[in-house]
Amino acid sequence: MDFELSQDHKVLRDSVREFVEKEIKPIAMKIDEEHMIPDSLVNKMAEMGFLGSYLPEEYDGAGLDMLSYAIVVEEVSKACGSSGVLISAHTSLACGPIYTFGTEAQKKKWLPALNTGKVIGCFLLTEPDAGSDAGAISTTYRREGDEYVINGSKIFITNGGYRGTGVLFATSDKSLKHRGVSAFIIDLNSSGVEILKNEKKLGIRGSYTTAFALDSVRIPAENLLGQEGQGFKIAMDTLNGGRIGIASQALGIAEGAFERALAYSKERKQFDHPICDLQAVQFKLADMYTRIETSKLMTYKAACLKDAKKNYTAESAMCKMLASEAATYVTKEAIQIHGGYGFICDYEVERMFRDAKITEIYEGTNEVQRVVISKILLS
Amino acid sequence: MKILVCIKQVPDMESRFRPNGDKTWYDESDLAFRMNEYDEYAVEQAVQLKEQLGGEPEITVLSIGPERTVEAIKKALAMGGDRAVHIRDDRYYQKDPWQIASMIASYAKGESFDLIFTGMQSQDRGSAQVGVIVAELLGLSCATTLVGFSYDGGTVTVKRELEGGIKGVAKLKLPALVTCQLGLNTPRYPTLPNIMKAKKKEIAALTPAELSGEAELTATAAIYPPAKKGGGLVLEGEIGAQVDRLMGILKEKTAVLR
Repeated sequence: MDFELSQDHKVLRDSVREFVEKEIKPIAMKIDEEHMIPDSLVNKMAEMGFLGSYLPEEYDGAGLDMLSYAIVVEEVSKACGSSGVLISAHTSLACGPIYTFGTEAQKKKWLPALNTGKVIGCFLLTEPDAGSDAGAISTTYRREGDEYVINGSKIFITNGGYRGTGVLFATSDKSLKHRGVSAFIIDLNSSGVEILKNEKKLGIRGSYTTAFALDSVRIPAENLLGQEGQGFKIAMDTLNGGRIGIASQALGIAEGAFERALAYSKERKQFDHPICDLQAVQFKLADMYTRIETSKLMTYKAACLKDAKKNYTAESAMCKMLASEAATYVTKEAIQIHGGYGFICDYEVERMFRDAKITEIYEGTNEVQRVVISKILLS
Repeated sequence: MKILVCIKQVPDMESRFRPNGDKTWYDESDLAFRMNEYDEYAVEQAVQLKEQLGGEPEITVLSIGPERTVEAIKKALAMGGDRAVHIRDDRYYQKDPWQIASMIASYAKGESFDLIFTGMQSQDRGSAQVGVIVAELLGLSCATTLVGFSYDGGTVTVKRELEGGIKGVAKLKLPALVTCQLGLNTPRYPTLPNIMKAKKKEIAALTPAELSGEAELTATAAIYPPAKKGGGLVLEGEIGAQVDRLMGILKEKTAVLR
């Protein structure tokens, strides 16, 4: 058992870290304040290959593995959780299912533009009345000749505001519950697709969270992803992989806050000593670091299992749960170590605290993760 | 055209440095490593030249050091190097610049490189000797501390940084060796697709025994942290008198007021 990153993964990590230090860290505060990731940064991340890291080279991906992807999302999220989730939702939730369930023709048509970041991907599952109960969606589809006609609404769509390529879920008959759900690839510039709003949020403010109305949207029949009725399975499988991305995002947020808290504890003097001389602070640092390292081990393990094509369902649920709870814990303690300064925007840990919370909620709430894990234990 | 870029993996300068047990090098257990900053300018300039010439030149990256050195080599390959030579030497830190340069020259002699790029110096040892000794051993024209580089029809024109902010321009015939300084260029980030491509590039492994070895000319006797000094000089008293004292010190001990 070897817990060291390979030389190739170290080269990757160092390269991504260098990019993040120079290109993302200096503007992370601005991204939060302006509720917007500048297009120039999206383009730079695309040029770096961040938007197709684990997709094969034949579809213009970088051809790396899941562990590389986890490292990319982690390193980016250390500086900016909004940019981290842009990559995660795009790669895991749009490129991922098209690659896994798409036909060769679909992959050739949609993946190169996604993998090179020419268009940004998103995943349209959640609806006002269907969150954790994803089988209860009520957006409908019906076949008309060579087209499917979609009607309904979607909310909380990460990256939706880019109007790129979406993987959309709709039902042929709501009474069939999850068995009636099918998945489609949709160009969000299609007529009938209307953005109702981009939400204002507690955290990850640079990331779009979009509500859509779908009014008789016609999409070609060839855009059906997988078989009719297979949609629920596609959604669950996709979220399973996506949890590794969110765990990596949460891990990065926690590490970013920890780095700042550790440095601050050495600089800040009270009672004539740096506050890191106080055991009250030392214990906090030890607890924070332990949670980070535990989350990292599980996240990397889940990624390695996926790379090895082994079952990783429990591990992806566990790493998402562990890392997100580490993120909320570590960011909260990072503020506490900073004292009053931590509450001030300039010290950035307050942003990380706000960014962390969502990781306990999206890609399956942590309550859903516990259901997933216990189901496996008891099956 | 055949290009050689010599790089070194050095400790990250933000690491905590402590002398090792026998006080001849750093204790490496606490150190993180990265490519020597000046060597990044060397790699970047070589890749820019390759691009200028439509991809024709072949860039070989060479580095001497232990197993971990491969990380720096892979970065150089991901930046655009074509192939690499790793001279695997776990005792690299005991060799003086003469020995290191001799090993490089011994390898390069049979390869007839047209142009060799190195960093101006390493960030850890900082001798700034290896490049110029290699040039001397191979009989190459040589220019150091480049802040500008251009190539046209067999002639290299370089801009050099001289003392006092003065720049100098020199022209060199090939074959030549140049050493690169901060300000020459902005090294590119290795992109993910290029990191992937670098995995497939050849890294030939050599041992010092396969190269003609020279005896050392300069042996490191000891390295040590400087003795801790007192906490600086604190000026006190009436403000006008403080200013006068400060002016006096600046005039006497520094160049800022000359």
